Amino acid sequence: MAKRLFPLAFGLLFLSGSLFAAQPVQVQLSTSGVAPREVEDNTEKAIIRDYQRAWQSLAAALSENRTDLLANDFIGYAQDELHRRVAEQQNSGLHTRFIDHGHSLKAIMYSQDGSAMQLRDTAQIEVQQLDGNSVIHSDQITQSYLVVMTAGENRWKVRILQALPSEQ
Amino acid sequence: MRRLLEYALLAAALIFADRVANAGELHVPTNATAGSEATISTSGSGSATFYLFGPGTAVKRSIQLGSDVHLSAKDLQYSGSYTAVLGGENAAATFYVSPGKAADLAFLARPSRVPASTRQVISGTAFVFDANHNLVTQPTNVNFSLGVNGGKAEARSVKTKDGVAYVILDSERQAGPAQFTSSLDDTNVRRVVQVVASDPCNLRMSAKPAKNAILVETEPIRDCAGNPVPDGTIVTFTEVDNTGRSTVDARIKKGIAEATLPQSQSALLSVASGVVVGNEIHWGGH
Repeated sequence: MAKRLFPLAFGLLFLSGSLFAAQPVQVQLSTSGVAPREVEDNTEKAIIRDYQRAWQSLAAALSENRTDLLANDFIGYAQDELHRRVAEQQNSGLHTRFIDHGHSLKAIMYSQDGSAMQLRDTAQIEVQQLDGNSVIHSDQITQSYLVVMTAGENRWKVRILQALPSEQ
Repeated sequence: MRRLLEYALLAAALIFADRVANAGELHVPTNATAGSEATISTSGSGSATFYLFGPGTAVKRSIQLGSDVHLSAKDLQYSGSYTAVLGGENAAATFYVSPGKAADLAFLARPSRVPASTRQVISGTAFVFDANHNLVTQPTNVNFSLGVNGGKAEARSVKTKDGVAYVILDSERQAGPAQFTSSLDDTNVRRVVQVVASDPCNLRMSAKPAKNAILVETEPIRDCAGNPVPDGTIVTFTEVDNTGRSTVDARIKKGIAEATLPQSQSALLSVASGVVVGNEIHWGGH
């Protein structure tokens, strides 16, 4: 009996750990005023879903210092930049933890051919910087980002994720 | 006893004042630019661990408080928000690094093949970057140009918004490889858009008797701008007589299409390609 229960308990423990690691990210998207093309309903859902995944991957990658977690959701310059951040954190024994309180996205430009979308994100995030296991700094921030996502084979990927100064 | 307590309080106040006087502080740059060096000055005394977190950057260094911390161009390669922290000193400061000057373009041009003389069919989107691949958010003029060799190019200048500029253009009247370029000072990016003939215009055929058949043949097939419709385009010939209807799909070969229809004493012959209908011929006594 105990032998049968052990894998089940282990599985439940593993599942609860995974769910904790991949906390849901709240994303709202406004597409009013986007040009030159209107955003289709399916595209809107896909952007929300893929941007949520991207932030989950980013948080996990910077917390665990693993570049492999970025491959599905980031591409191009955004991916290069995050790879370098992870490599530098790894070299110095640093980590970054995000507690994500949600993103308010606004679509600015959706290319005529439907292959690229530019958005502005206002993110509410708690950021903790750690040296080993010690938190050296923690901050609750509201940060705006310029985001460019491009359509891939089966999902939208973040190509540019660039923070804006606080007044913009 | 009371005096002892006063001495203890005085000693604690002196230690606190000394700590405050020697506590580390950070003075971050107010106008940093991506890809340029910068300095963070510190105050206080003793040693501390300096940390810098930013886009593409995570730095950890031992420093002497009171000295300047030099940040290299590589430390500040990416535009964004940076946080400097002095470990153990409860001192942190955030500063923004702006993108550098516009120096590079990424250009999306779609589609790669378009019919001639079609409105609002070619789109070009340009993303303006600095030398370190940061999106340049300052408005910048991007020049777009579209033209087939030997023809007059259509040119537009568009100011970027949030680093992006786009145009939507009509296709040329003349078929051929069109050069679609976006440029920014000395940088230009070129794409080729193949302009092909549009639908046929004035589709006309003639018919003549052949052995046990009717031979139908079009004149050279061109679009309304005079571009030859590409070989391989399907042309449909139809014959209707009192026995029924016969249809033959033929491909354009060397500019014309031809087919052999069943012999008939009296028939109505017609020709069409896509949505374009050509002339009709009353064959025999029809």
